[in-house]
Amino acid sequence: MTIAPATQAGPSDSARPILTVCDLKAYYRTNHYGIKRDVKAVDGISLTVRRGEIYGLAGESSSGKTTLIKTIAGAIRPPMEVVTGSVEFAFLPGYDGLHRAPPAEVARIRWRRLSCIMQGSMNVLNPVRRIRSSFVDFAYPHIGGDRAQFEQKVVAHLARVRLEASVLDAYPRELSGGMRQRVTLALATICRPEFIIADEPTTALDVVVQKEVLGVIGGLQREIGASVMLVTHDMGVHAYLTNRLGIMYAGRLVEEAATGEIFRNPLHPYTKRLISSLPRIGDDTPRRGLEGAPPNLADPPSGCRFHPRCPLAMEVCRHQVPAMLESAPSHRVACFAVNGDDRA
Amino acid sequence: MAAILRDLLRHNAEFRIGVLLVGSVLLLSVLASFSPFPPENVYVVPPDLPPSSTYWFGTTSRGQDVFWQLTFAIRNTLLFGCIVAIISRLLALVIGLLSGYSGGWIDRALMSVNDTFIVMPLLPILVLFYFVMRDRMSWLMLALIMAGLGWAYDARLIRSVAMSLKTREFTQTSLFSGMSTRQILVQEHLPYVMPIVFSSAMNNMVWSIGLEVTLAVLGFTDINRPSIGGMIYWANQHTAMVAGVWWWIAFPTIAVVMTFVGLFLLAISTNQYIDPRSRLGRVGDVT
Amino acid sequence: MSEALLNVSRVSKTFVRGGLLSGERIAAVDDVSFQLDAHRPEIFTIAGESGSGKTTLSRMILNIEAPSSGRVSFDGVDLATIRTAAGRMDFMRKVQPIFQNPFESFNPLKRLDRYLFATYRRFAAAARQATPESAVDETLRKVGLSLQEVSRRYPHELSGGQLQRIALARALLSSPRLIVADEPVSMIDASLRISVLNLFKTLRDDLGISTIYVTHDLATAYYASDRIIIMQRGRVVEAGDARTVLKAPQHPYSRRLRDAVLLPDVPDGAVDASDGAIDLANASERRT
Repeated sequence: MTIAPATQAGPSDSARPILTVCDLKAYYRTNHYGIKRDVKAVDGISLTVRRGEIYGLAGESSSGKTTLIKTIAGAIRPPMEVVTGSVEFAFLPGYDGLHRAPPAEVARIRWRRLSCIMQGSMNVLNPVRRIRSSFVDFAYPHIGGDRAQFEQKVVAHLARVRLEASVLDAYPRELSGGMRQRVTLALATICRPEFIIADEPTTALDVVVQKEVLGVIGGLQREIGASVMLVTHDMGVHAYLTNRLGIMYAGRLVEEAATGEIFRNPLHPYTKRLISSLPRIGDDTPRRGLEGAPPNLADPPSGCRFHPRCPLAMEVCRHQVPAMLESAPSHRVACFAVNGDDRA
Repeated sequence: MAAILRDLLRHNAEFRIGVLLVGSVLLLSVLASFSPFPPENVYVVPPDLPPSSTYWFGTTSRGQDVFWQLTFAIRNTLLFGCIVAIISRLLALVIGLLSGYSGGWIDRALMSVNDTFIVMPLLPILVLFYFVMRDRMSWLMLALIMAGLGWAYDARLIRSVAMSLKTREFTQTSLFSGMSTRQILVQEHLPYVMPIVFSSAMNNMVWSIGLEVTLAVLGFTDINRPSIGGMIYWANQHTAMVAGVWWWIAFPTIAVVMTFVGLFLLAISTNQYIDPRSRLGRVGDVT
Repeated sequence: MSEALLNVSRVSKTFVRGGLLSGERIAAVDDVSFQLDAHRPEIFTIAGESGSGKTTLSRMILNIEAPSSGRVSFDGVDLATIRTAAGRMDFMRKVQPIFQNPFESFNPLKRLDRYLFATYRRFAAAARQATPESAVDETLRKVGLSLQEVSRRYPHELSGGQLQRIALARALLSSPRLIVADEPVSMIDASLRISVLNLFKTLRDDLGISTIYVTHDLATAYYASDRIIIMQRGRVVEAGDARTVLKAPQHPYSRRLRDAVLLPDVPDGAVDASDGAIDLANASERRT
């Protein structure tokens, strides 16, 4: 069973994507006692996220997806550096990325237009204050109005994440992990942002709670009409919640298509192996995983970064970087074996 | 070893300055072997002369050359500090690691002893020892007593690190690899504890030298053996500041301040270097 | 000589939370019993969520903790009677652990081959005639690696999957009868999990080594196990053949767990929006 938003054609400005990432490169540059290292965590990524869609970003360790999400959210601190490329939001035109915009602009859009739910965020609630005070500190400055009205809005919003009003009087430690995560979701969405970034929102939760929280995210997204960028390594979560899926490997996008397409008809050799290595209850076929080890981003393989582990590797894969081409309608792949090796 | 020193010298300003300061002080102490005057002799040169080209640091009211006195004084003082630091570090390490790793009654017993030592007031006890032992109180005796008093605080610190290391999974892996307790403590846990040992060693030296200077200034040590505190004691006895013989006090003070600051800088720079987190940045690859 | 390799008999573990006078007793493990057959190697799964007691149970089987009541016996020997160093070594020769976090299983400051050679020296040197290097290399090859790849490396230079294989190789060096693996693949990439799970199967089939696989992930449990017990708050709620239990669970909790597993599939016919735009006219009205 999957949750998917209703498909309807919207007015013409829905054609303009809410997020455009163009040839983004972000490296970690360190210099310890004379040893210089460049970890090429994000190395040339271009993608767009449309309004109202849930875009999933899948990738394993050393895929660079965490760096990508940090760059998009503007959380760039040394030794991370944006080397080139741009991240443009529709509601903040004219700037190459949040790190280039003036702080006043960034403050204006945070939580009202752009909202982030980072890993472990259920632990950001102040443990010595009640939940109500988190809402007051956080959302009241943006929403305003008198306190009684504000409290009503908060209670109505909590109902959307299936929490009772009594939660407001509780301390964080009195709530379970799943409830705390839903409070964080409520906090992040109460101002009805247009774009929500979620990094591993359910990883630390138990399986039953995880399904509930994902349902809440889907319901929220439908109601407030936000676009969501969901980053997780868990392919089951992507299958359950997302509309489109981008697969990352070693700092680059290797495949991007509608979620159903990716699972039914993966084209890139990495995606194929990844999908086929996922076990399913009721399915007894023996499976094989990927060979080799994830690439070292400080010294990645030349050309196509997957070529050392790829069963279809050809000579050209070692020397040239495959371009991300539309191999089928709305289905982009970066692979010479799939697209042919014509140099673009 | 040489590579480590070269790395530190090249990239760390604190280390360079620390090496400079401590190096100068060490140089002074080495020069003591070339002194033309035996250290205990008095009235070997004209007294109360200000610094000049013949007597670089001037002379004291007792007719000694301040420069050569200082070389002996700083040597004895540094030696004292080193002995206290080494012995008390060893005590703190053994007790802290054993206590943290063993837990149970061993831990409880050792920590009761430990806490007793922490709350003991040091200066009164040292003064008490002096009054009891009088002339038999040599500086070596004093060093041993101070080493026996100075390990408690750091033992607790090391114990906390050892306790947290015990819960980490690699300790279990080591156990199931058949390593003995001694092997685990020395090979697996010691590297994590070394930063504490190092920085507390420098601290300990500063503390012990400070205390020794205090005792000497008060006259509670062997005042015939030259030491920094001893020089200041004699300067006070001859009311040097009032008499205008400022060089007698100034140069020992500068020397000991240089020592303290130099040791401190060395401590923080080497600490940063051997800290496990920064080591990982240099070993293998950065993730 | 008893027939059971491992006999867990009515084992419970209670922790006391709070002070001396007003402590609250929490039963982390409550009256659990099962047996592993000495002549039929298998992969036995202990499944449950956090707080189910599965990790505490695995620690008691490894003799890292002692049960509050009940008995754990391995090869006929009650673990509570092991008091000497020799007895402990003998037990560790036969039962080895694999831990969840591959990066924590080894000291980050030390080289990996140390553990392999230490295990070899302590447990295997007497039995084998080969040199340490060749014996370690041979065992590493069994898990798909080689000494050349591992020698002189530090843990953070390798991936989680490789580290778990090295952990497995280390465990194999003592020629154990039982491996207790606590969430061995949950911190590894999905694409690498299957190869590690396949290794457990190979160990069972080729070397006759049984594995106790502790996990919360029912999909991997289905793939790898022969028998399974499902734990909830310290108690076993369902037990039996893995295929049967997971395809058709009987207990309501097992059913809930099973239904919560997310399928890595988007079934045909579900509405999946390749366009993704929703009715913006309605949405923008309600924006503040």
